[in-house]
Amino acid sequence: MPASSQKNISRTRAPGEDSQSEEHSRQLGRILFAAFAGLLFLLILGGLNALLSVRKLSGIEQEVNRRFVTHSQALSAIVISVHVYDDQMEQSLLRGQKTADSAKPFDPVTRSAEIHAALLSYPSDEEPDEQLLVQELLQVLTQQENAFAATSSWGPEDRDKRTHLFIGEQLIPQRMRFLQVSQEISLLNRKKLGEEKTALDVNFVNVQTRIQWMVILTLTAGILLSLVTGLYILRLERQGRLRYQALLRGREELEGLSARLLEVQEEERHSISRELHDEVGQTLGALLVDVGQLSKLVPPGDRAIHGQIDSIKSVAERAVKSIRDMALLLRPPMLDDLGLVPALEWQAREVSRRSETEVEIVSENVSEKLSDEIKVCIYRLVQEALNNASTHAAAKNVKVSVIQAAGEISVEVSDDGRGFEPERQRGMGILGMEERVKRLGGTLALQSTPGKGATVKAELPLPSAKSL
Amino acid sequence: MKKIRILLADDHQLMRKGLRLMLEQQPDLAVAGEAGDGREAVALAKSLKPDVVVMDIGMPNLNGIEAAQQITQSHPEIAVVMLSMHSDESYVLRVLKAGAKGYLLKDSAEADLIKAVHAVAGGKSFFSPAISKILLDDYVRKLKRSGSEDAYDLLTPREREILQLIAEGKSNKDVANLLNLSVYTVETHRSNIMEKLHLRGVPELILYAVRKGIIS
Repeated sequence: MPASSQKNISRTRAPGEDSQSEEHSRQLGRILFAAFAGLLFLLILGGLNALLSVRKLSGIEQEVNRRFVTHSQALSAIVISVHVYDDQMEQSLLRGQKTADSAKPFDPVTRSAEIHAALLSYPSDEEPDEQLLVQELLQVLTQQENAFAATSSWGPEDRDKRTHLFIGEQLIPQRMRFLQVSQEISLLNRKKLGEEKTALDVNFVNVQTRIQWMVILTLTAGILLSLVTGLYILRLERQGRLRYQALLRGREELEGLSARLLEVQEEERHSISRELHDEVGQTLGALLVDVGQLSKLVPPGDRAIHGQIDSIKSVAERAVKSIRDMALLLRPPMLDDLGLVPALEWQAREVSRRSETEVEIVSENVSEKLSDEIKVCIYRLVQEALNNASTHAAAKNVKVSVIQAAGEISVEVSDDGRGFEPERQRGMGILGMEERVKRLGGTLALQSTPGKGATVKAELPLPSAKSL
Repeated sequence: MKKIRILLADDHQLMRKGLRLMLEQQPDLAVAGEAGDGREAVALAKSLKPDVVVMDIGMPNLNGIEAAQQITQSHPEIAVVMLSMHSDESYVLRVLKAGAKGYLLKDSAEADLIKAVHAVAGGKSFFSPAISKILLDDYVRKLKRSGSEDAYDLLTPREREILQLIAEGKSNKDVANLLNLSVYTVETHRSNIMEKLHLRGVPELILYAVRKGIIS
């Protein structure tokens, strides 16, 4: 049902419809372009977004890890330096108890500076808990330093008595405290790392969800778009096919029409020619005979009447002649009376008589019983070609050869005239030739170069050979 | 004196009427019958056995050419004068091939018909003077454009004599008698003439003679 309605539409296209549909298709093109551009934009956007998110996340992760590592390292450095400080202090105190001058002297200033440096190099971010703990470390250290400074005022006996007490009561608890605080810092660090990792995971899940949505959205849009486009293309294709069929049918009809036109033209010419020739011509011929008789009845002396009769005679003769010429032009009776070759020879002589072109006719095996269609086709073709050769190409010599072989008859007209460009210059005459030859299932070939003459060649199948 | 009996064949009654009027004014001519088409002409020629058939070239059913051919084939003694509107060589040659003895243009029928009937009844050929002129013009023009020479100059006086006699409708035997030659010699001359002039058959020879004004 839609196909037939489509057909009707394409058949009865109004002139304005073309521009309308053109506008329509342009608009459609714009829509499609926008849709595809949008889809592409979505794809790029989604891809970029995903890429950036992933990169950002991995940056954050690296940063988190780096931070944890730096904090841990700095903490270790502090812990180690404090440990060395305490150790050396303890040993120096113990040593001082036994022998005054032992190997390594304890250098509290340098060690203390080391610890301070380590403490200072601890990253100072905006973590208040951590900073507090670090401050506490500093306090513990200061206590220790102060405690150690107090030992310097001790005498040797003081030293023996108080060293162990000092170590037990001051140094060890302080060290424990120190270790505890650093443990807390380390825990805090670890906790922070865990927190940040969790945040990262949440972020990652978010990004994943976003990418998923993006993919779903793009995919849906793409599917929709391709569905619409596909349907539209199918519709276009069907329309195109229908239009092409209509075109083919139209061309067929046109061909049939033009063939019929030629046929009717030929029939009409034939009948007018016969009418002119047989009726008008013969009547005038009879008139001439009667006028002759009349002139015999009039006494030779009567000049006035004889003059009148002669005048009537010459008028009638002129009429006969012009009617004969007309009839010949419309349809040469020799085609019917004498056959194809004599008719062509007659035409050749006519052209030779009227123009500067000499025409030679060569024929081989041409049957006298060719069908009327073939005779007329060849005759008209030669007529047209001779006309072209003598009037347009100003040829001096033209050769016409008609050769009949098994199942085929070929005609070739070649001249030595000005020639033409067969690709470009195709007049109505040549179109007519083509039309005639095609109608009988034959082929027409034109060959010419400007300045080098022209050749028209037609080959026609002989239907009699086929049907026999 | 025995009258020359004539059969008129023309599909136009007016034309037949005019021709009959013209012919019957002559004391030695009599119209034996009238035919309206080619087939009737052939039938009447067989039954009436006229001396001369005056026939139009274009007729329904059977055209003049075909009718002339049938009549001269079955009755060679009947002379046919063809009436035609066409002065072209193709027609003249075709009519000659059909066995007609005279070719008369309709324009000049009124002036030459009596002469033509008398000529063909006497065994001679007759062609409208205009025909000879047109044929000659075509011939001369062709010779001039192709630059070739008229082969007529190649003929010996004896050959020219024989050419004329044959063109006038004489048989080899008649020619031999007239010129005191053997039939064999005449035949040899005849084939020489044909070869020199590139002619095929008597109709072309007659046409050539008409063209050259050797006969009229």
